[in-house]
Amino acid sequence: MSISSFLGIETALRGLEAQQRALDVTGTNITNANTPGYTRRVATLVETQGLRDVPAGVLGTGVSVQSYTRIRDGVLDYQARGQGMLLGYQTARRDGLSQVEATLSEPSDTGLSSLFDKFWSSWQDLANQPTSTAARQAVLGSAQSVAGAIQGLQSRLTQIDGDTQQGITTTINDLNDTVSQIARLDDAISSQTKTGQQVDGGLLDQRDLMLDKLSSLANVTITPQADGSTTLAIGSFTLLSSGTQTQVTSVSALGSNLTSGKLAGLVSLDTSIAGSGGYLSELDTLASSLISAVNTQQAAGYTLNGSASTQAFFTGTDASSIAVNSALTADSSLIAASGAPNEPGNGDNALAIANLRGSTSIDGAYQSLVTEIGSDSREAQRNADVAQTLSDAVENKRESVMGVSIDEEMANLVRFQRGYQASARVMNAMDDVLQTLIERTGRVGL
Amino acid sequence: MTTDRVTMSMTNRTLLANIESAAARVAKAQAKLSSGKELNAPSDDPYAVGRALQLRSELGEVQQYQRNVSDAQGLQQAMDTTLSSVNDYVLRARDLVVQGANGALGQSDRNAIADEIDQITDGIKSAANARYGDQYIFGGTKTTTAPYSTSNDTYSGNSASIHREIARGADVNLSIDTKTVIGDSGGGIISVLRTIASDLRSGSTAALGTTDLSALDAAHDGLVGAQSRVGAVAQQLESAQSRLGQLEEVTTKQLSDVEDADMAKTFVDYSTQNAGYQAALKAGAQLIQQSLLDFLH
Repeated sequence: MSISSFLGIETALRGLEAQQRALDVTGTNITNANTPGYTRRVATLVETQGLRDVPAGVLGTGVSVQSYTRIRDGVLDYQARGQGMLLGYQTARRDGLSQVEATLSEPSDTGLSSLFDKFWSSWQDLANQPTSTAARQAVLGSAQSVAGAIQGLQSRLTQIDGDTQQGITTTINDLNDTVSQIARLDDAISSQTKTGQQVDGGLLDQRDLMLDKLSSLANVTITPQADGSTTLAIGSFTLLSSGTQTQVTSVSALGSNLTSGKLAGLVSLDTSIAGSGGYLSELDTLASSLISAVNTQQAAGYTLNGSASTQAFFTGTDASSIAVNSALTADSSLIAASGAPNEPGNGDNALAIANLRGSTSIDGAYQSLVTEIGSDSREAQRNADVAQTLSDAVENKRESVMGVSIDEEMANLVRFQRGYQASARVMNAMDDVLQTLIERTGRVGL
Repeated sequence: MTTDRVTMSMTNRTLLANIESAAARVAKAQAKLSSGKELNAPSDDPYAVGRALQLRSELGEVQQYQRNVSDAQGLQQAMDTTLSSVNDYVLRARDLVVQGANGALGQSDRNAIADEIDQITDGIKSAANARYGDQYIFGGTKTTTAPYSTSNDTYSGNSASIHREIARGADVNLSIDTKTVIGDSGGGIISVLRTIASDLRSGSTAALGTTDLSALDAAHDGLVGAQSRVGAVAQQLESAQSRLGQLEEVTTKQLSDVEDADMAKTFVDYSTQNAGYQAALKAGAQLIQQSLLDFLH
């Protein structure tokens, strides 16, 4: 069997085409170097089927592009998403707790702690000067500061908790949106798979990006299906299966399935602030201890005009309602500084109130609240730092596989350009050979 | 090829992470430097913040006790001054009694002495109406009403004690038993002086020289006893003051150890962190520009 004279030209043409495709892929990689979620592509070149040239063997016929391959490592995706969940969780907690911590403004001369100090001291001063109107006014003033500071702290914590709950709602919407985008992408991908086409890498990139985002929101399990679609679940709560999406309506619908991600971080922050035994309830306990301790002592004393006390010192029952009794602010002589009837110079009862200083259920409780919030915030900062470091490390690992390296692409650019040039030269040589054949043969003796 | 590929976005991410953490460290050092405090938020060191709050509270308490002591000292001095002026009156009265007991004296002279004794009694009563601030200091806890009036010799105070707390649970008693020492119509200096005046007017010179004089001496002894008790309180207050002063110093130092930044160390820290930050920025600026692109033609 003889080989066509034109085979060489065909071979060179295939070479030109293949090198050009490879250059096209390099170009796409370079232009997408900064596109989020872009997975670098490689044009996989294979040798084309040879021609049997008996008895020499098989003669090569050139090259073709077998596929445009996305270079990605599923294991690294899995690790990166796992870290993304942790990072989402810890960052949400850290950000919230640093706000909580800032509302305390401790340690300082303006925090509740020093207002408590001033409050107890004003009672001591009153014990020294029970008949002094100035001392009585000072007690009322410092008591109003303490009550105001407790109320302020309560309302700021409530505000932060409200923001957190708002954040939970927004995150749930975000999660549902992301799942529905994934469902749409899945649809397109699986229809391409079913018709036996190569799946568009751009669609896969977009879906991977969405899956990354989804993983940062909650502890989502991603199960790839044979048809190219995915099944998504949070614990036993199925988000997406066979193209059917189940909307998450509230956190309680997820229950104990939710363990990580931004959403779980916000839920845990909400529990720390407003849950049972949370900061707000500790503040309420502290306020009601203050109210009842001072009021009990106030009830045991006698007013400036010598009669038994009938007016409470504080009104309200908790951190949101604590206030100084307006009857006392209107008439400071009603403060029961005296420990005995008709003894205006007796300051024993004021002294008894002053000696509530340092009580483990009042200012002592406040100190432990500050320490607790500080510890929680510090722990969240550290955990978030660790999660960030780990996440950066695994992202780098992943990027190392799937990311576009400009250096590498530049080298490829040179390589494929040279390949193209060389193929062109081959064609040139073939052309020369044929020219010789056509123009020089059959001219003997001419 | 086994080496990891390094892409531009990896370099960028690492560079950014490093620059950000360096910037955060600089900001933290700057906060310490500008506030002069080691602790700027509870999370800086939760245990130390708890300790700082406790020390601040202790310091507040100590400073309050110092105020209590200085208030007590003022009160004590006012009492001491009053008691010594009462003492002067009593000594003058004693001279007059000795003079009046002299049988050679005419009745009109004795009447004149009796008038002076009455003036002394009024003087003692008005001295005992002394006030510290707006409080009567010899009326027990009835500090808003004068213990004596000019119209009669009734004592309108009570015997409850005036005290000041100078440490948790430690009181100093600042009152004297006015009714016994200064007295009223039924006893004490006032009653003795009234008897003396009536004996002078009735010419009972025998009683003047014997029972009246010894009664006055006994009353005077009571007064001196009260004075020495008030004097003892002064010493107690002085030692409390110096003890509280030391306590304040120690607590302030402890608080400063916990809370205040070591400025020299913080400044060195700041310079180091800042240098690190600048270096990260400079390295980044060079690193980020270079690729094979720069060398291909």
